[in-house]
Amino acid sequence: MKEALYEKDLTAMKYAILESRRHDRMVREIAADLGISHLLLRRYLMENLDMLLLENLPARYEQGKKFQESLPEVERALSSHLYTRAVPLVGERVMDAIVAETKGKVAAGVPLSEAVSVGKAMIRQVILR
Amino acid sequence: MKRTVDVSFPVGPVHPCWKEPARVKCETRGEYVVSAEVELGYMKKGIERIMKGRPWQEVMFLAERVCGICSVIHNMVFIEALEHISGIDVPRRAALLRVIVNELDRMQSHLLANFSYCYTIEHETLAMYLLDVREKVMDQLERITGARVTCAYIVPGGVRFDLRPEDAQALRLSLSAIGEEVMRYTDMFANGPLIALRSRGIGILTKEAAREAYAVGPTARASGLGDIDRRLRHPTYQSLGFSPIVRTEGDNYARIMVRFQEIAQSIGLIQKCLDELPAGPIRGGGIPGAGEIAYSMEAPRGELTYFVRTDAAGRVLEISIQTPSIMNIEACCHYMLTGVSSLADVTSTFVSSDPCIACTER
Repeated sequence: MKEALYEKDLTAMKYAILESRRHDRMVREIAADLGISHLLLRRYLMENLDMLLLENLPARYEQGKKFQESLPEVERALSSHLYTRAVPLVGERVMDAIVAETKGKVAAGVPLSEAVSVGKAMIRQVILR
Repeated sequence: MKRTVDVSFPVGPVHPCWKEPARVKCETRGEYVVSAEVELGYMKKGIERIMKGRPWQEVMFLAERVCGICSVIHNMVFIEALEHISGIDVPRRAALLRVIVNELDRMQSHLLANFSYCYTIEHETLAMYLLDVREKVMDQLERITGARVTCAYIVPGGVRFDLRPEDAQALRLSLSAIGEEVMRYTDMFANGPLIALRSRGIGILTKEAAREAYAVGPTARASGLGDIDRRLRHPTYQSLGFSPIVRTEGDNYARIMVRFQEIAQSIGLIQKCLDELPAGPIRGGGIPGAGEIAYSMEAPRGELTYFVRTDAAGRVLEISIQTPSIMNIEACCHYMLTGVSSLADVTSTFVSSDPCIACTER
């Protein structure tokens, strides 16, 4: 099999980045929030983000969490900005659809916590797909 | 992640315009850059792991070796983190001497960054002029600390050497000459038609994008973010009436101009320190003890943070370093380079963010 010069397998280096204390804390926090295994989340990040974005994730995560406080209730509960712009786990269009569906449920009288947990299950499905 | 694209244009890992190796993979549509991705791993030191378990007396020397260009600030942040953990006070004279050395370090770092940019856009004359001025700044750094890089000048409770009156006088004279030269070169840069063609409106980082990527330092200040300057929260800088330099264009030109303006600002700060320098001790004493802290200060490239945990003997149990280049290169590759209309501008845009791969890879 022909391989281009310098095209390396970056898995080991990406793993080394995510293994650091701050990265590990962030991965475990997100995994706990979404209800998935931190190992699966780590693999998803390694497969979908480049090395530099991985290095910068804790700073982006902290910044995203601060920004999130200024968002409306449903967006804040689903961490829509955090999981699309700060830590890009889900595409913006997909997240918009999840937010719209959650808002619809809340408007129809479903309790917020229940609607949000369904929304988070949808985010989880995107990651585990 | 491998994807199939129209043209994948790799820049680096070895490139004549770059000081250190990194590989930027640009995905292009003709000349237009659709996206960019960075591969690191060509100079990983693993310095955080080397630091763990060692006494602070060894770690303070290792901290300087994270980066050869901004070694003073690594020394300063690590030592000030220990001082905050252990409640060690610093005499006023030593605090001002720290600012003097830190600002000299910032000047030489900014001059090197602007040299790299001018060299990249093929304005070699201005580049060489800037490198010449940098040597004069390095001479002053050596005069005070005894070394050009890895000075190990800052120690818990103070600084290592005092500033003699004749050295202070020589520093004043030198700063005055450097200030005149920098003003002339700033004017050359600000009004050069070739420079404007290669710099204005190129590699734009909007204020929102800068905030989202947590861009720091001159890169963020060139996009209108002034409140992120950590010197605003440092007591010595507060006592000197420091206020950050902010521009709003967000392009390559603005980033280089912010650095030029900050060099002039640093000269002013050093002169103010020399004017206010009181007589007195330069070391107040104190022994680092047990504790944990996340301490940040403004490096030449932006916010530098040390997460440190020590035991009662001052041994470093845990350490994590967040360098400014991590945020700035990420902002550069995922925001500034995306949408660049010509591949010829990729290198200059990358260099305009003052990337330090040694810092990024630690």
